[in-house]
Order: sequence, then C-alpha cells, then structure tokens
Amino acid sequence: MTDRTGRTSEAPRSSGPPTATVRRIRLPQKLRNMELWLLIVACIINAAAILLVQLGAMGRIDTQLVLLGAGLSALVFGLHIAMRFVARDADPFLLPIATVLNGLGIAMIYRIDIADGESGWESASVRQIVWSAIAIVAAIATILLIRNHRVLFRYTYLSGLIAIVLLLLPLVPGIGREVSGARVWIGIGDIATFQPGEIAKIALAVFFAGYLVRNRDSLSMVGRTFLGMRFPRARDLGPLLVVWALSMAVIVFQRDLGTALLYFGLFLVMLYVATSRLSWVVLGVSLFVGGALIASQTLDYVGNRFANWLDPFSPERFDQEFGGSYQLVQGLFGLANGGLIGTGWGQGRPDITPVPQSDYIIASLGEELGLAGIFAILALYVLFVARGFRIGFAGQDDFGKLLGVGLAFVIALQVFIVVGGVTRVIPLTGLTTPFLAAGGSSLVANWVIVALLLRLSDTVRNHPRLVIDG
Amino acid sequence: MSELTLLVLQLGFLLLLWVFIFAIVYSLRSDLFGQRVRKLQPDTPAGGVPVAASPFPSSPVASASPTAAHPAAPASGPGGETASTENATRLVITSGQKAGAEFPLGRDEITIGRSSDSAIIIRDDYTSTHHARLMLWNGRWMIQDLDSTNGTFLNGSRVTVPTPIPLGATVKVGATTFELRR
Repeated sequence: MTDRTGRTSEAPRSSGPPTATVRRIRLPQKLRNMELWLLIVACIINAAAILLVQLGAMGRIDTQLVLLGAGLSALVFGLHIAMRFVARDADPFLLPIATVLNGLGIAMIYRIDIADGESGWESASVRQIVWSAIAIVAAIATILLIRNHRVLFRYTYLSGLIAIVLLLLPLVPGIGREVSGARVWIGIGDIATFQPGEIAKIALAVFFAGYLVRNRDSLSMVGRTFLGMRFPRARDLGPLLVVWALSMAVIVFQRDLGTALLYFGLFLVMLYVATSRLSWVVLGVSLFVGGALIASQTLDYVGNRFANWLDPFSPERFDQEFGGSYQLVQGLFGLANGGLIGTGWGQGRPDITPVPQSDYIIASLGEELGLAGIFAILALYVLFVARGFRIGFAGQDDFGKLLGVGLAFVIALQVFIVVGGVTRVIPLTGLTTPFLAAGGSSLVANWVIVALLLRLSDTVRNHPRLVIDG
Repeated sequence: MSELTLLVLQLGFLLLLWVFIFAIVYSLRSDLFGQRVRKLQPDTPAGGVPVAASPFPSSPVASASPTAAHPAAPASGPGGETASTENATRLVITSGQKAGAEFPLGRDEITIGRSSDSAIIIRDDYTSTHHARLMLWNGRWMIQDLDSTNGTFLNGSRVTVPTPIPLGATVKVGATTFELRR
C-alpha cells in the first residue's frame, strides 16, 4: 500500500490542476517470469519422476516415454507463452502446480503399466499423456477464446441447461455405458469412453454463480430467526430442493454417490458464499445426510459402501466377491507399507490394489512416496485451492467472485471425497483425483478450470485502480 | 542399480518436491503479511501519481505513469448534458491530494471508499469504508451514496438517491472532488 509520508511530497501545484493519465506501464512481466521459473522446476520434477520409475521398476532408462513427456512439457510452455500475450497478469502459481500434479499422475500410471506389462499406445500411461495434451490444448483454447469472464454471465441459463443435458447423457440408451456399477460414462461403440459429469461441474459452477448473483437477495434477506439463525422462507427453498433432488437422482439412477456429493456440496458452498447465511448450510447438510442415510438403507451399493467404511477388516467383508472391502483394505495396507518416505518409485506393489491408476492413485502414490510425498501432494492441492479462493476474494464483480470460489471449491471437495474415501474418513465413492488419476474427461475438465481461474485472476489484476491518500 | 542409490535418489526427489512447494509459499508470503510499503516518488512532474493497489503478491503490476502535464480541458458547465458512456471517457480529480489525476471510465461500475477493494481508494478521515459508487444505468453514469457517514455531494447538494451526473458537475467525496469529462 502507499506510504502515508508521501503526503508532504505531494503538495498541490500552484498552476491549476495538472492532469495525469492513468496509463499502465508494461513492467517487465514479473509474474510470467516467476511462472516460467516455477514451470522449469515443475518439468524437472516430472522428468525425474519418470526416470526414477524406470530405474526403480526396470533398472534401466527407456527414452520413449521421456520424449512423450517432453512433448507434453512443450505444450505447457505453449500455454505459458499464450498467457504472455493474452493474460499477462494472471496468477503465476496455478499452472506450475497443475503441471506437477499432472506429471506425478502420469509417472504413477506409467509405473503401474510397467507392473502390468503394458506398453505402447494401448497402455494407460500413453493414453493419459495424449489426454493431457488434449486437455492443455483445451485450456489454451479457453484462455484465447474467453477474454473476459463476464461473457459467461450472459450464458447462465444456457450453461445450466448444458449441465443437465451432460448429466442425463449417460442414461440415454445406446451411448450410455456402465463401468463397475456406475452409469456415468458415454461412449461410441467400445471406444472413447468419456464422463460428461466432469464437464458438467464447470457448467454447474457457471450456472450457480450466475443464478445466485441474480437471485440472492430473496435468498438472503427474508426469513425468521430460530435457534440464533435466520432460516429462509419455505417458498425460497425451491432452488435448494431442486439441486437436492438432482443429486438424489444421480445417486439412484446413475448409482454414483461421489458425483452427487460433489454437485450438492458445490451448490451449498456457493449459496453460503452468496448469502453468508449459515442456515443454508445447516439445511442442506441435513437434507443430504438424510437422503444418504435413506439411500444406504434402500440401495444395495450405497449400503455396501457404508458397511465397508465402518467395518472393512471383517473377514467376510474382505472376502466378499462383489462390493467387498478388498480394495479399501489393500489401499490402506499400501499406505501403511509406504511409511514415512515410501518404498521409492517403482519399488512398492501398488498394482495389487484394484484400479490403482484411477480411483486409488492416491494410495499408490502414498505407498511409493510415503507420508512425505502424500503431504507434498496435498500441500499442492491446498495451494491451488487457496489461490482460487484468493482470486475469488479479490474479484471486482460478484459473478467473478462466486465463480472463482466455486471452481476452486469443486477441486477441493473432489480431493476431499477421494482422499477421504481412500483413507476411510468418509465412505468410499468413485471419483477421480483431480489432475492425478487416469481419465480423459477429468483431465480436460480440470485444465479448463485452470484456464478459467487464470482468466479470472488476469481480469482482477487488470482492473484499473486509483489510490488517494489523504 | 544399488538400493542405496535408489534411496538417495528417492530422498532427493522428495526434497525437490518440497523445495518446489516452499518456493511457491515463499512467493506467496505477501498474502499473509501484507504488501511492502512503497514510497511515492517525490519528484513526479504531474500533480499526483495514482498508485495501483494490487491485492496480490508481487509488486503492483498496473502502475501509473505520469504523462506530460497538460492543462485541464475546459469542462462543460454544470447542469449540462448527462454523462453517459458515449460522452464521458474519464474521471478527473479536481481537488484533494491527487488533484489532476485521471481515471478511465469503462463499462464497469466504480466503487469509491476507504476499503482496499474499492476501484478508487480514498484514505482520509472523511471517507467511509464503502462510501459511494458510480454505476451505469441505461448507459448513463449515476452516483449512489452507500450510506456514508459524511455524505456524497453533487454540485453542493447531498446525494440521497442514485442521481445522474451531468458532465463536468462536481462530485465531492470526503475532501476529494472529481468530475466526469469527455
């Protein structure tokens, strides 16, 4: 902030008010240069991870995957260069953090490919690299196309519609695909499975932000006080009930607890941020917990999840062929085996847990990198989300504020749901770990979130300001 | 490859990861401890240098440059046509600490107050935290008083309801006056 002693030197001129135009000097792009350095470190970390996997698992170095990874790094630098032109003042930390998380994920998927004896274009790691490339290109396109986030405000209701359509797509016969019980995939023939729900979370964040900015007055002003909190009127409960019904429908028809929790939690937090009324959170959490408890009694798969969560180590649950706790317990054993500094890249046995490269990648990383590594990964998420909140906090317009908070929170909640499930804090639900887990749709969605947050932070900083110290 | 080498490499990797994290946290420290105080240049040629306040770490990006001082453009008389997006392009501070400084008018509303999230930050004893705002209503610039303690004055009379601002009319907030010009 400006120095107050500047007052004495600021004596008014005698010859009438001179004028000075507020014009921005193009300082050397400090933020972008900082980002460049962090990106270089990030790429070194990613290359080191892949090389250590090869040394640990195979005892030799294979240059093919390193070259593919280098191609990916080139794309990340492409995004960096694009930002030098169109988003000079964007946040310098989001891109390096996302790069490291994405790279660690690729290294772990590659390590599991080696254990499974897969290689070439059919292997999950190469597919993940290709999807990462697509996702980063999508992020570059987003940042080039959306020059001002306010454009999204115009498409509030359209994005709400898009979200609903994307959510319903997997239920359409013919293109909907069911993978391990959850009907959240679409595909053509047997190829290109895609989870439209991942993209829907962005559309939902845009919709919620726009909707709440337009309607928050009626949601926050009126109501009667009860138990020290002001509760909304019954007729204002509509939106909350609609989103609640939507997430319950996801639980019942798509059989996906995690996605339902994600959407509902996103709405609740954005509602809380928009109205600053705790009563919404109380109402919403009790609604969701009530719904989830009913679902755990009536729906088999939800009941199984709850039982596994409460009592995973009982022999009959462990040996149960479908819906047992084998995966959960193997993940916990893996984490325990990792200890403080892990077994080392390529030297653990994460591959004996089912789906170690997607839902359980956090347990795989915990085994090979240990507590020190898993805390580093969680710290990266914390920094990422904190930057997002900071961007929302500094925003000039209400829509931008809400969108920034919503996009950051959706990442935070997703990490909590997955890591909480793996570590048995909450019942295990199938969601992808942002940036880390194998899965194209998740990568594309999360990189688009990065691009939107970068765009928001650029707009925030670009806003002209004038400081007058009296 | 011996186990010891792999262990050393693993430790090195974890160390690198944490160095990366602490590098970010170190760059973020101004988020926690506030921004360093910057002294204004004493020998500015123009009346005042508006200093950009950035809520972000690192030094302000949008700094202002004093251009060659030129005499104030003759303002159209008070009570003339209403300032709108078509005819008003800038806000000029006419008295107070930063007399002569200009602020571009875009299409966004401009908040005025002592709080650091205002677009025009006025820190003196007479300005409220959220004092007033300039907003666009049907393309016309309106001044709205945000229930400030000492009031907002348009051509000397206190603003109670959102009022259209004529071009060149004097708006007074605390000890600062400004007008909208072409």
